[in-house]
Amino acid sequence: MNLHIVVCVKQVPVSNNVKIDPVTKNLVRSSEPGVMNPFDQNAIEAALKLKHRYGGKVTLISMGPKNFEITLRQGLAMGCDDAILLSSRAFGGADTLATGYVLSQAIKALDKVHLVFFGRQSIDADTGQVGPIVAEFLDWPQVTYVSKITPLSEEIIEATRLMEHMEQTIEVKLPAIFTVRSELNEPRYPTPRNIQLSYQKTIETWDEHSMNLDLNRIGIKGSPTVVRKVWSPSKPKKMTQSLGRDVDHAVQQLLVILRSQNIL
Amino acid sequence: MSIELKEHQQMLHQMVTDFAHKEVKPFDMVIDKQKSYPKSLWNKIINVGLLGLIVPVEHGGADFDAIAEAQTIYDIAQKNASVAFTLEGHYKTVDQLKKYGNKNLQDIYLPQANQRIFGFGSTEPQGGSNVMGHTANAVKEGDYWILNGNKTMITNGGLAEVYLVLLKTAPNELSCFLVDQDMPGFKFGKQEEFFGMRGTPVGEIFLENVRVTNDYLLGKVGQGVEIGDSAHYDARINMGAIAAGICQHALEIVIEYANQRKAIDKPIVELFSIQNKIAEIAIAKQNTQLLYEEAAKLKVQKKLYDKVATMAKSYGSRAAFSACDHALQVLGGYGYSTEYPVEHLLRDARALQIAEGSLEKMVIEISKAVERDRG
Repeated sequence: MNLHIVVCVKQVPVSNNVKIDPVTKNLVRSSEPGVMNPFDQNAIEAALKLKHRYGGKVTLISMGPKNFEITLRQGLAMGCDDAILLSSRAFGGADTLATGYVLSQAIKALDKVHLVFFGRQSIDADTGQVGPIVAEFLDWPQVTYVSKITPLSEEIIEATRLMEHMEQTIEVKLPAIFTVRSELNEPRYPTPRNIQLSYQKTIETWDEHSMNLDLNRIGIKGSPTVVRKVWSPSKPKKMTQSLGRDVDHAVQQLLVILRSQNIL
Repeated sequence: MSIELKEHQQMLHQMVTDFAHKEVKPFDMVIDKQKSYPKSLWNKIINVGLLGLIVPVEHGGADFDAIAEAQTIYDIAQKNASVAFTLEGHYKTVDQLKKYGNKNLQDIYLPQANQRIFGFGSTEPQGGSNVMGHTANAVKEGDYWILNGNKTMITNGGLAEVYLVLLKTAPNELSCFLVDQDMPGFKFGKQEEFFGMRGTPVGEIFLENVRVTNDYLLGKVGQGVEIGDSAHYDARINMGAIAAGICQHALEIVIEYANQRKAIDKPIVELFSIQNKIAEIAIAKQNTQLLYEEAAKLKVQKKLYDKVATMAKSYGSRAAFSACDHALQVLGGYGYSTEYPVEHLLRDARALQIAEGSLEKMVIEISKAVERDRG
């Protein structure tokens, strides 16, 4: 059986100095150079391992402006086969619900998909909602916070969910959606050859006319979330202090500090 | 980088920086202390595809240009110069196979260059840069060449499995041949034990009646000197990149130390004498980088790059040694201690004044090129 695996990836800002649109309170995504969301790299690694075992192909999907292409090329350079960018002004301002809706419609528009991987959450918005929302729209089983995957057959996967105070191991029948943790694997490096070849591939761009979409459910119109206020938390007090390389001197200083805080 | 990298080169730069930080850096001190080239590290370098960086795509490689190649060498040299030096020895050899190898030889060996390390042998025990004084030779017998003699001081000698060698085909004529360690009559000789660059094996090979077809001749009979020069010029771009990488490595160590170390309650980075040394190291790095990047750019543009490449090696090798000397002085006793990396950076940098032509030879070559370009 050849698996068709989809990995949904997101481009996140390089730095923490993100800009916020003063009107919509959304991240201004075109203002900053971006990188692939780190958890999405674990998702790609998981997909490539399954492809290696069972054959098939891995398709990347991302939703965002044109400059998200570089993140898709990075995924291609890791070894994914195809990439689709969902990009249109009509998608702008989407919250997790509208994003999940468009992604699920894109997945429906593809040839039979067996598995969809997401990172557990993005490191910019940190909601962790999009994977589960897509699962609901597709009406597929979802397994979140996955830290271990053991394929039992081509149709059944055993997955371990790692949560704050517990682990849960379950079996799931495909098709299904997984959101994965960094504990799952060590993502491979893109190879120089695949980097070169990824720039020879065409990334398809889909807009609102490329899929069967209810236009009232996309973009700002389809987003019930209202962000009332965004602010930067006050900077935490400096928590680390280097005491230098001279051990004797460092120990003396450490004693002084510990005594001054009544720890000793 | 003063050259603006293209998007795919930028992605390569990011990947190599990440790889060097996670995989090469942890071995920096180990390599020097154990005088080794860790197999586990080299397996990772091979598996990630760095050997095939300049191998054409149709032969399974990545086909990056000289700018990306130099950037890669620089990115790795920042974490360990000798790993970059070994890659440099491989790339310069592969480059000559690309330029001068016939199709049959390229079809066999360029795919192998993605997995096997290559080396270039020109020096002989009785003759260094004076290649015409060499005795190793190739004699035509029917459809075959019979190769005899030995080559020494080969960068990657002992580690590399495939070599290009310069052999005499007439009293005043050198030609270039490819030899493989698996050929009958091929033997390894002694390994050198060096002052620095201890992660790069340098060794000797012996050829005893090694029999090859004409396909194993690179270019034409008598083209050996040209191929040897071409290998030198290609290598010297990367020698500049290694020199700049060593400067950057030294700079990072010095800045971290000078911000932590205090003299009379203030970090020594606030002292003019220390700032002076930081500035000297930064200038050494920047100037070297400008030279090797210019040489790489000229090579990509298919313009003459021999002069600037030689300048990059000549200036960069001295600048890197001087930068490491400044760094050692800033760290004082810690700089002189083998527990800290600065003293091995100084020893590594010293190799750059000798490898790929001595500084003294560079003077002659640069002055001749200046005369040539003057018209």
